[in-house]
Amino acid sequence: MSTILEIKNLRVEYRSREVGQGVKIAVDGLNLNVQAGEVFGFLGPNGAGKTTTMNVLLGFVNATSGSAWIFGADVRQPIARQRIGYLPELTYYYKFLNTEELLRFYAKIFRIPRSQREARINAALKLVELESARKRLIKTYSKGMQQRVGLAQALINNPDLLILDEPTSGLDPIGRMKVREIIQRLKNEGKTVFFSSHELGEVETVCDRVAILNQGRLKVEGRVHDLVEKYQCNLEQIFLKIIGYEAQA
Amino acid sequence: MASPYLILVLLFTACLSLGSLVEPWYQTWKGGRQSANVLDVLIGDSRRMFANHFFAKADAYFHSGYYPTIFDSQKREEESHMVGGSNEADDEEHHQHDENCKHDESQGGKKVEGGFLGPPKDWIDRFSRNFFPSIHTHLGKNGNEREILPWLRMSAELDPQRIDTYTISAYWLRSRLKKVNEAEQFLREGLRANPDSYEIYFELGRIYDEDRREPQTARNLWEAALRKWQTHDKAGRKPSDLVYEEITGHLAKLEEKQGDFKTAIHYLKLLKERSPAPEHIQEQIEELEQKVLK
Amino acid sequence: MNNAIAVAGIVIKELYRRKDFYVLFILTALITLVMGSFKLFNDEKIVRYIKEICLLLIWLSSLVIAITTAARQIPAEREQRTIFPLLAKPITRGQLIFGKFLGCWIACGLALVVFYLFFGLISGAREHHWPLLNYFQALWLHWIFLGVVTAFVLLGSVVFTAVSSNATISFIVIAGILFVARHLNKIALQMAEPGRSILYAIYFAVPHLEFYDVRDLIIHELPLISWKILGLATLYGMAYVVFFLFGTWLIFRRKSLN
Repeated sequence: MSTILEIKNLRVEYRSREVGQGVKIAVDGLNLNVQAGEVFGFLGPNGAGKTTTMNVLLGFVNATSGSAWIFGADVRQPIARQRIGYLPELTYYYKFLNTEELLRFYAKIFRIPRSQREARINAALKLVELESARKRLIKTYSKGMQQRVGLAQALINNPDLLILDEPTSGLDPIGRMKVREIIQRLKNEGKTVFFSSHELGEVETVCDRVAILNQGRLKVEGRVHDLVEKYQCNLEQIFLKIIGYEAQA
Repeated sequence: MASPYLILVLLFTACLSLGSLVEPWYQTWKGGRQSANVLDVLIGDSRRMFANHFFAKADAYFHSGYYPTIFDSQKREEESHMVGGSNEADDEEHHQHDENCKHDESQGGKKVEGGFLGPPKDWIDRFSRNFFPSIHTHLGKNGNEREILPWLRMSAELDPQRIDTYTISAYWLRSRLKKVNEAEQFLREGLRANPDSYEIYFELGRIYDEDRREPQTARNLWEAALRKWQTHDKAGRKPSDLVYEEITGHLAKLEEKQGDFKTAIHYLKLLKERSPAPEHIQEQIEELEQKVLK
Repeated sequence: MNNAIAVAGIVIKELYRRKDFYVLFILTALITLVMGSFKLFNDEKIVRYIKEICLLLIWLSSLVIAITTAARQIPAEREQRTIFPLLAKPITRGQLIFGKFLGCWIACGLALVVFYLFFGLISGAREHHWPLLNYFQALWLHWIFLGVVTAFVLLGSVVFTAVSSNATISFIVIAGILFVARHLNKIALQMAEPGRSILYAIYFAVPHLEFYDVRDLIIHELPLISWKILGLATLYGMAYVVFFLFGTWLIFRRKSLN
């Protein structure tokens, strides 16, 4: 299997705004590979460096040192993003557009040929069940509908790698089920999914491999099945053990 | 929760009460102020600043936008080109002025920059002159002098005590635009705001003499102008000698036309007292005395 | 270039779905019509003061549209987090900036066309003639002016965090340039060194936006500007546009977006 996503010695530092606090290290020497066709869970407590890592992969933030490649291209090059789809944790889209216009806009950015554009838009809307609301302005959508818009725009270019930042955050059980179904479907189609989540139960169900981050450092990485066998407990307990949490009661 | 209708009724009552409370106060509000106009009182003396600005705007319009700014070192002429005089004299004066300007600015086919702008100081200065009026011209074709009137009107609204706004407007209205009624109406507005203005009386007299051909009314107005001028003089307000010469000169001419040479001589003698060319006036007096003898 | 055009399309859509433009246009039209309804000295042929008022309102409105639209582009994207799904696509930050500029500029141009059509109607109703080439020159120069303003404000939007600060500072700077830039060389002559040199440096460095304000030429029906001069003014404006956009890109390309 080929390596789709490669992170080498990634280090991201932020200058602290507080006087005398120096530099804050968000990610410290991260090494990670994601293979084609796998569903990879990127886990860690709040502030572990998951979102920062994703921000570097997507070019929002510059790494202090180290490197990252997607499909063999440096993540700082726009070509690295041609075959990826991204769903941010907080989904906000242009409120003055309707879903159809938004998807058409993103389709133009992806240079999807005009002949295929409408078909792709229709397919994406059908997948996320937003066909009936396609002409309504996004500002009139509920949170769940906006999340589905996010999924639709992440899938418009039929990506080979999907990067999802807490895709089920804020969704009701039906919404979470739909997201799981979409991830499973993508996996069956041979796509690669790289996502972060706090829902360890569904990570354990869906993911092939996981990595657990804590305080910017990679603590453990491996196949879910192998980790469960090694630690003789479920993924949630492995997570708590790795980050050093001790139950109060 | 109170009924919305009750709230409306209460609000209505409160407004009525407030109105009846404020009304007597407003009636005494004018007090010692010169004007009861709210705008005048709110803006205060800055309205004169705006009035001056609009007056200058009218002058700028007269020059089709060619006008010095506060940054231009050239002194502005003390009197605006818009100031009127006698018909033929003005036409002659403006024509000559136009010719002078054209000569200054174009010599042998080459444009020579003159006026307040001076020669361009750098390439930016030179280039910028393509984008704003940079040649000295005057309005004066096809009645386009009318374009200065709105600004003069606004100036008069804001500063009704500025006399020359009325006299200048009246000149252009009656002599170039042939709007005699409007000129008279405007002058009378000015007179209501400035009942002691000899300039406005004089201009009104000109309308009745030159346009309406009513010499009696013209005489009455000019005599009133002369009386006002003399009152100003006695009170030490230093009224304009130029206007005095105009008033007495016109009265003298009127009386001469009417055949009353003695009265004409009387006015010429008054004129001689303040004229910068008394010998010329004396010649006219002697001519008239000859006619009286005959 | 396709990406920039796509972004520009979104900006134009946003402008026309917001109420700002319509409010400003209606205000301009109302004030002009009210001022034009006064009959001064029973003369219906007086037209220049209406042209001046209308053009002044058009200039003010267009400046408000350009500055407020450009000032909120990048900050609004960041604040509303719409920049993340956008930059996660194969689009560079340079394309984003250029697209934002193009969108704002074209939107301003479309607004100008509507304003100047209205102006043409009003002035033609009194004058009964339409100096179309003169109006076209005025519109063209006005559009170039708005291009420089838009680029300048976009630069400000990556320097200042708050939209209001950027908009206020931009208004003040642009108004200052319009009123004073032309005269800086005269003021400099009256100063001693080093003030004189500093003022001269500023005089040559600032974009002389007064080149693009040809209202007086339109109001007073003065002859056409030479097309060669128009072309040079266009190039001058575009040079500053490129300069400001380049500066914007230099600052924005490395900015962390988290």
